[in-house]
Amino acid sequence: MKRDDFLFEIRTEEIPAGELEGARQDLARGVAEALSAERLTAEEIESYATPRRLVVWARSVPDRQPDREIEVLGPPAASAFDASGKPTRAAEGFARAQKVDVSDLAIVESARGRTVAVRRTVPGRATVDVLAEVVPRVVGALTFRKTMRWGKGERSFVRPVRGVLALFGGRVVPMEIMGVRAGDSTTGHRVLSEAEMPVTAPADYFQKLRGAYVEPDGEARRAAILDSARRLAAQVGGRIDADADLAAVLADLVEWPGLVRGTFDAKYLELPEEITTTVMRVHQKFLPVRSSDGLLPHFIAVMDNAADRRGFIAKGSEWVLNARLADARFFFREDSRETLESRLRELERLSFQERLGSYAAKTARLEELSAAIAEAVGRGDILHDVRTAAHLSKADLTSRMVREFTDLQGVVGGIYARAEGFPEPVWKAIYDQYRPQGQGDDLPRDAAGAVLSLADRFDTLAGLFRLGMLPTGSKDPYGLRRAAAGAVAIAVSRKWRLDWSEIAQKALSLYPADLPGLSTDRALAELEAFFAERLRNHIERAGSSYDEISAVVNVGVWDFADTAERAAALTEARRRLDFRSLVLAFKRIRNILGDRAHGEPSPELYREEAERALAGDFLQAKGLLEGLVADRRYPEALETIASIAPSLDRFFVDVLVNCPEEDLRKNRHALLSAIRKEFTKLADFSEIVVEK
Amino acid sequence: MLTLQGLIAELCAFWDSEGCLIEQPFDAPVGAGTMHPATFLRVLGPEPWRCAYVQPSRRPADGRYGQNPFRLAKHLQLQVILKPSPDDVQQVYLRSLERLGIVAAEHDIRFEEDNWESPTLGAWGVGWQVVMDGMEITQFTYFQQAGGIDLAPVSAEITYGLERIAMFLNKVDSIFDVPWSESLTYGEIRQSEEAELSKYYFEVADVGLASLLLDRYEAEAKRALEAGLLIPAYEATLVCSHQFNVLDARGAVSATDRVGLIRRVRDLACACARAYVSNRGGPPVPVAEPEPATAV
Repeated sequence: MKRDDFLFEIRTEEIPAGELEGARQDLARGVAEALSAERLTAEEIESYATPRRLVVWARSVPDRQPDREIEVLGPPAASAFDASGKPTRAAEGFARAQKVDVSDLAIVESARGRTVAVRRTVPGRATVDVLAEVVPRVVGALTFRKTMRWGKGERSFVRPVRGVLALFGGRVVPMEIMGVRAGDSTTGHRVLSEAEMPVTAPADYFQKLRGAYVEPDGEARRAAILDSARRLAAQVGGRIDADADLAAVLADLVEWPGLVRGTFDAKYLELPEEITTTVMRVHQKFLPVRSSDGLLPHFIAVMDNAADRRGFIAKGSEWVLNARLADARFFFREDSRETLESRLRELERLSFQERLGSYAAKTARLEELSAAIAEAVGRGDILHDVRTAAHLSKADLTSRMVREFTDLQGVVGGIYARAEGFPEPVWKAIYDQYRPQGQGDDLPRDAAGAVLSLADRFDTLAGLFRLGMLPTGSKDPYGLRRAAAGAVAIAVSRKWRLDWSEIAQKALSLYPADLPGLSTDRALAELEAFFAERLRNHIERAGSSYDEISAVVNVGVWDFADTAERAAALTEARRRLDFRSLVLAFKRIRNILGDRAHGEPSPELYREEAERALAGDFLQAKGLLEGLVADRRYPEALETIASIAPSLDRFFVDVLVNCPEEDLRKNRHALLSAIRKEFTKLADFSEIVVEK
Repeated sequence: MLTLQGLIAELCAFWDSEGCLIEQPFDAPVGAGTMHPATFLRVLGPEPWRCAYVQPSRRPADGRYGQNPFRLAKHLQLQVILKPSPDDVQQVYLRSLERLGIVAAEHDIRFEEDNWESPTLGAWGVGWQVVMDGMEITQFTYFQQAGGIDLAPVSAEITYGLERIAMFLNKVDSIFDVPWSESLTYGEIRQSEEAELSKYYFEVADVGLASLLLDRYEAEAKRALEAGLLIPAYEATLVCSHQFNVLDARGAVSATDRVGLIRRVRDLACACARAYVSNRGGPPVPVAEPEPATAV
């Protein structure tokens, strides 16, 4: 069979950097799946993306679908042929309808029994026809975070489609993508190349693109950026920070990455480094250059151009950066006219939430709540620092710097506190109070910062839950999920064992009693469910399975660190120990007892040997377990629990639990109930999934 | 040397040659050229529309007392509306830069995602900021919605930051050194005004008055709408929008008050947009020829 290459390019106006990688993968996967659904498998599928094009290259695709044998079923065999085997009118009618001779009818076994059938070969369709049909569907099914309409407003895509190339075996595949007819030519870089370029084959395409200042491979663009940046930094005795994220974004902003190095006025080096690098990275997408002594007054900019022929680009970039830094310095100097303490007045006017009052009120709550947390986690020694940090924590919200660079909230306050001579734990706590920003982000460095971050999170959660403003679906305007997930991450990583419901209750109690919305009890119950979900996610990322998570979370949510530790021990223990019979026994106990608890068993009512043995083993294990659990030696505790399984098994074999004698029956229930009570303090084993 | 007024003349001439009507600035304080009725109202409905105009735009919170080389409380935008957006709109835009002597191949010109949203106008669009050599020189937006109404056809809005382009073309380090004409600089014309406006917006403006004006003009907009007077209603809405910005610059708007205030202005803008659309064919709303059978 003949095979050919399919080359497909959609040319668009600039696709946002954040959408590009997903679009490339989705398009490639869509084409691959559509081809295999049509029984046309490519030897290999490659895909590329630049801001102005999405490219799929399906190598060596058969030029038509394989032929397909089908059976068309007719009447039952019994009614199609008479006793002597001669075709009836039913058979003749079917043959006529199928345009075959009666002698061509076959008899097959079908769901209806023996049935007359016609076997037929359906010739495969030409691949070019299949592609023309399925590829526009694949493109239409692509999803983006945000789509738009243009022109007459009839179509919706990530950005307007301006050209399409679709070639199979060097010939145009006739199709229309978002109103644009496919052709056999492409265009190069927007400003470095002009004419349309006819394309004959993939190799020709890639060669012509690169000749026209387009590097289709994002990975190659990224590598080129990092390489050149390192070289340019080294030329001034510096290096660039390992900032793979920024390099990846830059690679998705250009078709042909060129780099220039620029210099900014060294006087701006007096600004705190966090501010200077934020201006460079976030606002200008420039790479900062540093030596071992700190930042150098250089930066590296990526341009969508081969060369800065007349020096305009470097000069323009320098000029913009200097102006941005001048702006930052203006804010910095304005801000330094006031102390953090003197800014607190302004917090009265800054509303935290319409019904939850000002940031001044929040500050007062944070002082109290963070002190309570410090005490509760046994860090009374840092009480003074924590209070000071909480007192000043929100002052930077009134600063010019934070109003301009909102992602530096906290950081700016920390820098200002440092400049005002506050002790290190205080300024670091202010600096770190919003950490972690998301999953995998750095946690607060010191205990005081961790306490402050927890207090802020509990305060926000408590307030909004009191108002009944719980996140729904994708809507979480106050970032409450992130707030709770961060609290869990801090508590677990600090191993701060605590019933956090006490802190949640304290946080709820710091709000006025007459807030509209949920009652305190309801809010606390909702918070428990909310934290349980965040805790589940946290534990899942640590490697526990769904049923193990349910087993530990069922036993208790509010001590996050302890729950995480129980989960880790259980997951680890399941690799070593056979929990199967234990789990089955606990499921059986649940079936017998339901959720009811029963009184203490009386030894004088034991009758059977297996019963006495179980009670004996239980008492022994119980004593051991209490010590192990108190010392949080969970792996050994789980071993002890698992060791009861044989006696439980024997009990269930030898003893009739639901016996006719009421006193014996009740006593057996009491024994099982006592075992369950003691042995499920670490995990609810009946949640564990085992094969029967 | 290309003076600021020369720059404006060149761009207007360019867009004139592209078939645009050259409008005049809106005659009351607005935050952006988008608020001009020639944009906000004309992007509604099916009628084709091409226009360009300069709009002095006030951003009280951006004031820097005339001391920052890059920031102004009042700057100049040159606004272009192309409805429906033409297929070659990016190329046409690049040609407009060429007219100013900017050879694209000698610069780094990028279209970086920057979606625009005006909560106070119930409007949003998708597009880019055009970045030249690290500097934003133009906002480029495909309008998707205005006054809460989905737009079809879609307009392309091109907003040039005139001061920045003028700085760039003249290689001066401060806005105030931009030659406005052959004989006068931007600073000579505007620097003291900037200092005064900044001081006023940040330190002096009467918060109570701004708040009062917002309340009164909100009521006035509603009254005008009830009287069937669309343009006066919309003008009153723009007063509300500006007073909101004044309050904001004074730091008198908290994160949550903001939501409520924005909603009030947006409700007015949306009511104006609905009135405009439902009044098609009557003054001041044109009807495209021939009348589409399914016109709104």
